[in-house]
Amino acid sequence: MKKVLILIYFISLISLIYANSQKEESNALSSSIKITPEIKKKYPLKHSHNKLSLDCIFCHVGQGVNPENFEAVDEDKCLFCHKSKIYLAKRLEFMDTLKANPHNSVHDGPNLYCDECHREHKPSVNMCSECHLKEIKNNIWMKDTP
Amino acid sequence: MAKITRRNFFKLGAVGAGMLALGNNVNASAIDSKKVKYDEEYDVVIIGSGYAALSAGITAAKKGDKVLLVEKMGRIGGNSVINGGLLAVVNSPKQKVEGVQDSIDLYMEDSMKAGRYINHPDLLKVIGKRGNDALKLVEECGAKFYDKLSHLGGHSVPRTYLAANGSGSGIVLPMFDYIEKLPNVTVKRRTKFDDFILEGDRVIGITAREKYKFDSKLKDDDFENKSGTKKYFKAKKGVILASGGFSCDTFYRTQQDPKIPADADSTNQPGATAGVLLKAFELGAVPVHVSWIQFGPWACPDEKGFGAASNFNINASFRYGISVNAKTGKRYMNELADRRTRATAMFKLVNDNKNYPINICDQVAVDKIIPDIAEKALKAGVVKKYNSIDELAAAYGIPVAELKQTIGKYNDYVKAGQDPDFGKPVDKTDGVLIAKAPFYGTKGVPKLHHTMGGLKINTKAQVISSYTKAPIPGLYAAGEITGGTHGASRLGSCSIPDCLVFGMVAGENI
Ligand SMILES: Cc1cc2nc3c(=O)[nH]c(=O)nc-3n(C[C@H](O)[C@H](O)[C@H](O)COP(=O)(O)OP(=O)(O)OC[C@H]3O[C@@H](n4cnc5c(N)ncnc54)[C@H](O)[C@@H]3O)c2cc1C
Repeated sequence: MKKVLILIYFISLISLIYANSQKEESNALSSSIKITPEIKKKYPLKHSHNKLSLDCIFCHVGQGVNPENFEAVDEDKCLFCHKSKIYLAKRLEFMDTLKANPHNSVHDGPNLYCDECHREHKPSVNMCSECHLKEIKNNIWMKDTP
Repeated sequence: MAKITRRNFFKLGAVGAGMLALGNNVNASAIDSKKVKYDEEYDVVIIGSGYAALSAGITAAKKGDKVLLVEKMGRIGGNSVINGGLLAVVNSPKQKVEGVQDSIDLYMEDSMKAGRYINHPDLLKVIGKRGNDALKLVEECGAKFYDKLSHLGGHSVPRTYLAANGSGSGIVLPMFDYIEKLPNVTVKRRTKFDDFILEGDRVIGITAREKYKFDSKLKDDDFENKSGTKKYFKAKKGVILASGGFSCDTFYRTQQDPKIPADADSTNQPGATAGVLLKAFELGAVPVHVSWIQFGPWACPDEKGFGAASNFNINASFRYGISVNAKTGKRYMNELADRRTRATAMFKLVNDNKNYPINICDQVAVDKIIPDIAEKALKAGVVKKYNSIDELAAAYGIPVAELKQTIGKYNDYVKAGQDPDFGKPVDKTDGVLIAKAPFYGTKGVPKLHHTMGGLKINTKAQVISSYTKAPIPGLYAAGEITGGTHGASRLGSCSIPDCLVFGMVAGENI
């Protein structure tokens, strides 16, 4: 009898946890994060991402519901939509004057992390300008990093 | 603080004494293996991902060792991947083809002369002897080289290979692709080495932070940056330090040479800092020549870093042309002297109200180099093209009559095969004059380029201890973090072979 009771207790506990996690999941999907104007201002999105009305959870999946606690996401989140660096390099081949295609460059091949240059909530940078300031300033290679 | 007598010094052991000597610095303690629960276990752990690290990693992995490489930056390859791809090899296959007579003795003499004879000859000899092995290693990985040998400043004969794509990446990327395919190698980027783990006096592992992110906005990233999650990695056979030089460490380089301004430009990647070197010193490694810091004389003040002009000057202006004082139109140095000699001569001009010297060569010179190099430098606007010497002189405000006279004199020296003014080896510049339009001009300035000093290693790449005068068990080093090999000044194209050879030696001996 005692054993059965314990078993029932455990089953109900597990289902409770399960239900809770489901709720969190669906909450997340319908975005339980209220994106206030303050949050929007603090964590602005890039133009194209904004147009798609991406919400926080789209990238920060599984990181809770408080934007203050979010961590930088791995690049597989970027590549979920943007496929691969080689794919990007092919599409942007027209920029490839003097082998400067940043997604498959002469120095780094396709090995750079996206956020070496692209920043979502801050202005992006151009890492190549560490050494190639002139080429970039003179717009020989690339436009501003989106 | 406890008094260290000779007896209790030995009782404490090297590390304990090191901690005492360093007083209250809490970071000065290496970690005791007994107190550690390892997150991951390897045979060999390597710090860095440039030539030295990749060469060590490939060599150790080929022996069957389970290898971990940790790189603090997001980029692979440190200075190696942005470098000029110039690699000196003594008695190489290309020298045979071109009929160049070379020898290890000649190579050593060239290096010692540039190094002001404070080089450690035993280390230099290893590079001379094993350069061809290193070349084989990178060719096996898929590195390709330009057909012709280059002849760089300070070398008696042409002995320099140039990566086919004109960059160190032409060697690093094939090595990285190669190592990534090896099943027994793990590479962790944005993972920063913090400290050694010791078992007795033996280095047996490291602590590192994963998800560390270098922040170039910090004044001193090594000191201030706390990002990342701490991990413990075991290195059963030992640790190889291949974390490069410290040209971008403003604090440490100023301690070595207070004349270097904090904002002095460097050709190095921003992560070229002294953190690992200092940890090894704490452990008791012997410091060698740490204050010998080299400036690259071929850089340009119109751009940041190594930029596009450096390779143009190395390959064209300095070899086939001249460098003149813009105020006088006269030459002021041997354009193929070693770097220290040239940088010193150039700073004399630059320090006179930024009177940047002008490097000049002609179309014949440019036709002799890889077209890419010239095209890049021209497009960047750092090298400029002029239809006549008059035009060039006017553009830089050089007195034109003087300049023409200087060029005439130089051309005569080339024809005679001798430069009585500055001793440039004009007999080895293929008879190229400054005669055929268009002419090319570049403003010159030396930039912080290479830290000659570092850890003392022996010919087996073992790090030597100040306490025991013997190798620190389990600790190896290779590449720019080591010191002594190049003495006071390194010759161009001699770092790549140093890194590759000693990386290989470390991988073999660990
Ligand atoms: C622009 C330029 C051009 C050059 N051209 C030539 C040339 O043509 N020929 C030649 O012979 N030499 C050249 N040199 C010199 C040569 O490139 C370097 O000396 C060489 O690349 C050093 O290799 P390395 O493997 O020792 O270090 P690096 O290639 O610098 O690699 C060291 C790595 O260790 C990482 N690291 C540092 N600290 C830590 C830590 N705490 N944890 C984890 N990782 C860490 C660094 O981020 C770096 O990526 C050039 C240098 C520069 C800057």
